Amino acid sequence: MKSLFRLLVVFLLSAQVAMAQKAVTGVVSDNDGIPLPGATIIVQGTTTGVTTDFDGNFSINVSEGQSLEFSFVGYDTAVVTVGAGNVINISLSLGTQLEEVIVTSLGITRERRALGYAVSEVDESQISQRASGDVARVLSGKASGVQVTNQGGISGSGTSIMIRGMSTFSSSNQPLFVVDGVPFQSDTNAMGGFTSGNNGSSRFLDLDPNNIESINVLKDASSAAIYGVRAANGVVIIETKKGTRNKKPVIEYDTYTGFQVAQNVLKMANAEQFATMAYESGSEADAQFILNAMQRYGRSELNPNVPDVNTDWYNEILREGIITSHGISVTGGGENSTYSVGANYFDQEGILDMKNEYERLNLRSKLDINVTDRIKVGSSFIFSNATQYSPEGSAWFRAYHAVPIMPVIDPQNTDAFPTRYSNAQLLGYRGTQNPFPDMRYNKNQLKVRKILANTYLETEIIEDKLTFRTSYSHDYSTIEGHYVNLPYTLGNNVEGFSSIRREQNNYSNQYWDNTLTYEDSYGKHNLTLMAGHSYRDEAANTFSATGRDIRGIRLETSQFLNFADPSSFSGNVNENGARIYGLSFFGRAAYNYDSKYLLYGTLRYDGSSKFTQDPWGLFPSVGTGWVLSKEDFLKDSSALNFLKLRASWGQLGNDNVGASSGSNTVNNVYAIFGGQPYTGYTSSSVFTDNEWELVEEFNFGLDAETLNNRLSLNADYFIRDTENAILPITIPVINQVLNQNAGTIRNQGIELSATWSDNINEDFSYSIGGNFTSIKNEVTAIQNEQGYINSGSAEFRQRTVVGEPLQSFYGLEVVGVFQNDTQVSNSPFLDNNPEAQLQPGDLIFRDQNGDGVINDEDRVFLGNFLPTYTYGGNISLNYKNWDFALSIYGQGGNKILNRKRGEIIFTNDTNMDADLAINRWHGEGTSNSYPSSAGLRKAWNQQLSDFWIEDGDFFRIQNLQVGYTIRNEKLPEIRLNFTAERPLTFFKYNGFTPEITNGVDRQTYPIPAVYTVGLNVKI
Amino acid sequence: MKKIYKVLLVFGLSASIFSCSDEFDTRTGQLNTGDLDYTDPSEMSGALVGAYNAFSTRGWEEPLLLAVRGDDVNAGGLGDQQPFADTDNFIYNNGYWMYNSLWNLHYSDIIDLNTAIVQLERYREFMEGEDDLRAQQYIAEVRVLRAWLHLNVARTWEDVFIYRTNNPFEEIEANGVSSKEEVMQFIIDEMDEAIPNLPNVRPNERTDFPGGVTAYTAYALKAMANLELENYQGVADAAGEIINSGRFSLYPDFYQLFKIPGELSNESLLEMQFDELGSDVGGTFYHNFAPFGPQGWTPARENASSGWGFFEPSMKYIKFMLDRNETVRLETSVLFTDRGINELNEDGYTDLPAFVSNTTPSGDVINDYERAYFASGKHYLPSDQLPEEQNNYGSAKNFIVTRYAEVLLMYAEAVTRGATPTAGSAAEAVNQVRNRAGLADLPSVTSEDVMDEKFAELAMEWGIRYYDMIRLNNYSELSYDGRSFSESSEYLPYPQEQVDALPLTN
Repeated sequence: MKSLFRLLVVFLLSAQVAMAQKAVTGVVSDNDGIPLPGATIIVQGTTTGVTTDFDGNFSINVSEGQSLEFSFVGYDTAVVTVGAGNVINISLSLGTQLEEVIVTSLGITRERRALGYAVSEVDESQISQRASGDVARVLSGKASGVQVTNQGGISGSGTSIMIRGMSTFSSSNQPLFVVDGVPFQSDTNAMGGFTSGNNGSSRFLDLDPNNIESINVLKDASSAAIYGVRAANGVVIIETKKGTRNKKPVIEYDTYTGFQVAQNVLKMANAEQFATMAYESGSEADAQFILNAMQRYGRSELNPNVPDVNTDWYNEILREGIITSHGISVTGGGENSTYSVGANYFDQEGILDMKNEYERLNLRSKLDINVTDRIKVGSSFIFSNATQYSPEGSAWFRAYHAVPIMPVIDPQNTDAFPTRYSNAQLLGYRGTQNPFPDMRYNKNQLKVRKILANTYLETEIIEDKLTFRTSYSHDYSTIEGHYVNLPYTLGNNVEGFSSIRREQNNYSNQYWDNTLTYEDSYGKHNLTLMAGHSYRDEAANTFSATGRDIRGIRLETSQFLNFADPSSFSGNVNENGARIYGLSFFGRAAYNYDSKYLLYGTLRYDGSSKFTQDPWGLFPSVGTGWVLSKEDFLKDSSALNFLKLRASWGQLGNDNVGASSGSNTVNNVYAIFGGQPYTGYTSSSVFTDNEWELVEEFNFGLDAETLNNRLSLNADYFIRDTENAILPITIPVINQVLNQNAGTIRNQGIELSATWSDNINEDFSYSIGGNFTSIKNEVTAIQNEQGYINSGSAEFRQRTVVGEPLQSFYGLEVVGVFQNDTQVSNSPFLDNNPEAQLQPGDLIFRDQNGDGVINDEDRVFLGNFLPTYTYGGNISLNYKNWDFALSIYGQGGNKILNRKRGEIIFTNDTNMDADLAINRWHGEGTSNSYPSSAGLRKAWNQQLSDFWIEDGDFFRIQNLQVGYTIRNEKLPEIRLNFTAERPLTFFKYNGFTPEITNGVDRQTYPIPAVYTVGLNVKI
Repeated sequence: MKKIYKVLLVFGLSASIFSCSDEFDTRTGQLNTGDLDYTDPSEMSGALVGAYNAFSTRGWEEPLLLAVRGDDVNAGGLGDQQPFADTDNFIYNNGYWMYNSLWNLHYSDIIDLNTAIVQLERYREFMEGEDDLRAQQYIAEVRVLRAWLHLNVARTWEDVFIYRTNNPFEEIEANGVSSKEEVMQFIIDEMDEAIPNLPNVRPNERTDFPGGVTAYTAYALKAMANLELENYQGVADAAGEIINSGRFSLYPDFYQLFKIPGELSNESLLEMQFDELGSDVGGTFYHNFAPFGPQGWTPARENASSGWGFFEPSMKYIKFMLDRNETVRLETSVLFTDRGINELNEDGYTDLPAFVSNTTPSGDVINDYERAYFASGKHYLPSDQLPEEQNNYGSAKNFIVTRYAEVLLMYAEAVTRGATPTAGSAAEAVNQVRNRAGLADLPSVTSEDVMDEKFAELAMEWGIRYYDMIRLNNYSELSYDGRSFSESSEYLPYPQEQVDALPLTN
C-alpha cells in the first residue's frame, strides 16, 4: 500500500496544480463572443438606438440588466437568445436481469418499471467514457428527445440543452438540473438571467463527469411535475457516486491526456479568389485596394494581378490545445454510514493561439449516516475552483472577415507599436481587420468558485411507512473577471488605450425542501402519498469597475486598479443586484396494483416573484400505466419479457423566463449644457407585466423487452403545448422589444429507441442501440392584432405565424440567376422594379402573386431552424479484455441563415468563404444559384432569400473509444483507453458547424475534435 | 420519542406556511416611476434633462440620410453602403436599414419626449408659483424639441404620424396618417402655444440650462414650418421676431463657428451639445462624427483618428463657390485632397486660390483615399481641438441645428417672395450674411440671389438645401452630375418594417 501511495503522490504532483498568473483582457461581446460591427442596436427598455462601425465600436448608454436588440443580435449584457434544439438520442443500455432503480424527484426511489412516465437513463459506464470536462456534453446523443448544442469548442464555453423541442421562446429552454438533490440552474450564472431569463455560459463544467453515478432525464410534464415550475422544460437528475454499506473502501484513480484540434475549418477565399471577386465587384475602390496591396507587398509570381501575400488567417490563429485530467476518489461504507470522497484536476487549452485555457480543481465529499435505525442524516459538498482564460471572441470574427492580401506582420508599418501588425486601413479598407492585436493585447481572466452544499435529515416517524425529510441546499458561486487591455498603436492613427476592468459577480441560491411521505401496501395494493413544501431564494449581485491609464500596465504584477488614473473611475463603477423568490406547496399520490396497474397524480401550487400579474399558479398532472407483461395472457410468453403501456397528462408553469418589470422603469442619463454634465432620467412608456407560461403535455408510451431481455424497445408519442408563451414583441413606434404573453406553441413528436445486447460466448458480448426522434414545432395561436410576430432583424426577417414553426425565415424564393441581357430584358422586373437595376448575375425571384413586381408581398416562409428529426446510435463490443464503443448522432430538417455571408450588407470590403468566391456567377451558364460579385453588393440580391438560407443536416461520429483492461490477480484492475470525441462531422452547410442555437449563424470559430489516451486504476 | 417528532412536524409545517410570500412584491435592481417624488421641485429638472438627452442622442446615419440627397453633397464612401449611394442618386430601396433607423429613432424619441411631458405634468400637479411656471416652461421646451423631430420626418416622408401622447396606438386609431401640411400646421400651433412660456433670451444667455431652447428657437421652427407651407408672410413674421429682438448676431469667425470656439455662440438658436462628462461623472457624451471624416489623414495632433469617408461635398457646390470667389466659406465647408484638386484642375479650374489645399488651416493634412475626393469641413473638428486622450473623429464637437444665418436668409427669401418686411429689407439681411463671409454687399436681391446665398452659407447642414429645392420644385438643380430627379423622387418610401407594423402603404 505504501508504494502505491507514493505512486499516487507522484502522479498528483506531476499534475500542474499551480495556476500561472497572466492577465488577459477582453472586450465584452455577445454570447458567442462576437462584436457587432455595422449593426443597428436598440436597447430594450430605452429609446437608445445606434449603429456600429466596422470595428464593432459603438457608443450607447445602457444600464445593467437591459438587453440589446441588434437588428442583426447578441450581448454585451444580455441578448434575447433562443434556445435551439438538437435532439440527443441515448441508447438505453440495459443491464440484464437487474431492476433499475430510478432516483426520482426529491430522493424517492422507485423501480423504473413501476413508473408511469417517460424517463431516460444514462449509466455510469457511458458517462465515464467521455473525455469532456462538461457534464452537459456527456448527454449528447444519449437520450431520445434530448438535444444538446455545444455553444462552442472554446474552453469553458457552455452547452444548451433542450428536451422535447423548443417550448419556450424568450428563455433558454434549458431543463432543470438536480445534482444530488440540489437544483442547479445554469442560467442563474449570468446577471441577465434574472431580468431577461437568458442563458449565460454554462457552469456545468464545474462538475466533474467522473464523479457521476447516474443521469436520469425526466421528459414529460407529469414526471417533472414534482419539481414544479422550474421543470417545465424537463428535469435532468444527476447523482454523484456514493458509498455502499459495509464495503471495503475502493480507491479509484482516473487520468487521461490528449489534445484538441479544430475540425471542419471553413475554407476562406485565398488571395487570388479574393482579388477576382474584387475586380468583378464593379467597385473602383475595391479594385484600388488590391492595387494598393500590390504596391505595398509586390505582385505574385504566379498571377501578376494578385498581390504577393496569401494569408490563411484561420491557419494563423489556430493551434492544438492540450487536455489533462487527474482524478482520485475513495468510496466505501461502514455499518452505519457510507462515504464517498474525491478530488479531480482538469486542464484544457483552447484552440485559439492566445492565453486561452480552462483549469479546474474539484473537491467533493458525500456522507450518509444512519444515526439510529429511524433517523438518517447526510451531507454532500462539491467545491469547484476554476480559472478560465477566455479567448477574445472578436479574433474569430476578424479572422473570418480579414482580407487574405495582407500579412500578419507588416514591417513597413513602422507606426505600429509594440508589434508591427498589419493594418488593412493602410490599404484603404474601412477597418483594421487584423485579429492579432485583439489576441495579443487583451487578456480575459475569469476565476470561478462554486460551492454546492446540501444537508438533509430523514426520519421514519412510523417505521417503513411514514417518512419525513427535510433538506437544505445552498449553491453559491462567485465569478471574478479581470480584463486587461494593453495599449498599442497600429498605424493610421489607430490607438488602443490601456484599461483594466474588474468584475465581481456573486450568486447565492438557497433551497429548502420538506416532504412527508406515506407508503403502505394492502395485499397487492401499493400506495404512496406525499405532501411537500419548497422554498427558494435566488440572489445575484454584480459589481464592476474600470480604470484607464494604468501605470506599468505591461508588467503583470501591476495590473491592478490601484495603478490606474484615479480620475478615470468616474462613471465606470457599476453595481446592481437582483433577487427572485419562489414558494411551492405540492402533493402527490401514486398507486399500483401488483406492480401491474399504475396510477399517479400530482398537484402543485407555485408562486414566483417573476410574475407581476399573479404570482401564483395551480398545476395538476396525472398518469397511468399498464404492465401488460404481468397479465395472465402474457405472463408466460417467452418472447415478451416485459411490456408496459403508459399515458400521462400534466400541466406545469414555466418561470424560466425573465422577470416582469411590473411597472414603468427609470434610467439615469446625462446631457451637456454649457460644457457641464447635468443629470436626468428617462422613463419607459411600456413595461412587461406577465403571468405564468403554462406547459401542457400528453404523453403516450410503450416500453418492451423481449427475447430474454436482450432487445428493449421504447416508444413515446407526445404533444406539448406552451400556452401564454412569452414571446418578444416589438412594439412599433416605441421600438422596444417586450417579452409578453403572446401565443401558444405546440411541440409534438415521436421518440423511438431500441437496444439489442447479447453475449455470444464468455469472451464476446456486444450491444447495439439506436434512437430516433421526430419533432414538429408549430405555433397554434398568437395574441397579437396583426396575427404575426416579427423577429430577427429587418434585413433578415423571421416571422412567427399560426401554422408555422416558431420564428421561421421569411423571404423571397429564388428560382435562378439572370444569365444574359436577353433574359433580363424579357423579365417584367426590369421595368417594374427599376430600383434593382437588373443585370445578368442577379438573382431571379419567384413572383408569388403574379403581379410582375417583386416586393414584400412575394415573401414566403423559407424554413425553420428547428430540426424535424434527430437520431443517435451506439455500438459497443467487448471481447476478452478489449472493449470498443462508438456513438453517432445526427439531425436534419433544420435551416440555417448564413449570417456571416450576410454581413456584406453592412460592410462589403471584407473576405468571404471560398465556396462563394468559387461558385459566384461570372458569365453565362456559370451558376444558376449564386449571384455575381457585383450582384452581392446590390440591395436586390441582399434581400432575404433562399440564397442566404442553407440546409443544416448533419451526421457526426460523436465518440469512439477503444479500451483494454489488465486483469491480474496481483495487480489492481487497470484499464487503458483511447478516445476520440467528435472525430468526424459531415455536413454541407458553408459554416464551421451546423449546430446553431438560434438558426442565425454568426459563429466564426470551429468546433474541435478531441483525442485522448487514458488510464483508470481501481484498487 | 414520538412527541418530539410531532413537534418537529408542526414546527416544520408552520415555518413553511409563514415563509415570505410577501417578498413576491419586491423588484430588486430596478427603479420605478412610481418611486419618484413628484412633490419635490428640485427633481423636476431630471425629466427635462432626460428629454435633451433623447433629443441629442442621434444615430450616426441620421444626419447623413437627411442631407445626402441635396446637390451640395454626395454619398461618398465609394464601394461601401451601396444603397446609400443609390439614395443619393434617387434610387430608393425601402428595405434599407438607414431609412428604418431614421424613422425608428425619431419616433421613439418623440414617444420619449411625450413621456417626459407626462412626467412633468405629474410634477406640475404639486407645484405652485415659481415652480409651476418653471414646470410649464420645461413642458414648452420639450414641445419644441418634439416639433423639430416631427419636422424632419414630415420633410422626409411627407405623410407621417403626429404623436402628442405616449400612447401612440390610440392616436393612430383616432387620427391615422397626417399630411405634411397638417404636420407643419401642428408645428406652428405648438410653437404658438409654447412661445409664451419660454424665456425671451438667447440660448447661450440661459443660466439654468445654458444652450437650452428659448422662445427664439420656437420662432425659428415656426418660420421653418411656414416655409414648408409656402406661407411666406408667416415666415417673415416669425423670422422677424428673432431679428427684431436684437439679441442675435453672426459669429465673426465662420471657420471657428463650427468648432470649439464657436460653441454656444450668439448665432446659435438650437444646438446639440456634447462633451466629456467631467472627472466627477466620468465618461463621455458624444455624437459619432466619424462617417463625415476623411478616411486618411495626417493630423497635427498625434493619433487623432480619421473617419469613414462618407458625405462628400459635391463638385457642383465647389465649382459654384469658386465661381463666386468665395473665401472663408469654401475653406471652411470643404476639406480638399490632392486627388480632388487634380479633378478640379482637369475640369478647367486651374487658377485656384491658395487656401485650396489638402492642409486645413488648423494643420491637419488630408491624405488621398479611394472613397471620396472631399470631406465636409462643417463636421470637422481640428485634431488640436480634440480633448486630451480622446481620439475619435469629432469627439466633443457640438452639432449646430439652427443658427441665425438661416433665420436671416429665410426672412430674406420670404420678403423676396412677396411678404411684407417686418424687420428690414431682404438685402439688409442677406448682406449681413455676406459681410461675415467676406463678400461685398448687394444693392438688392432677388429670390434667386437669396437661394444662391443659402446654398453658399448653409450647404451640408441637415438637408436644408434639399428641402428648399423640392419645395420650389427645382428639379433641374437636383439633376446634376448624371442624376435625374423627378417628382416621384421627392420623398423616401416608408421603410418595409414600418409598412409591416403600421397602417402605412407605399
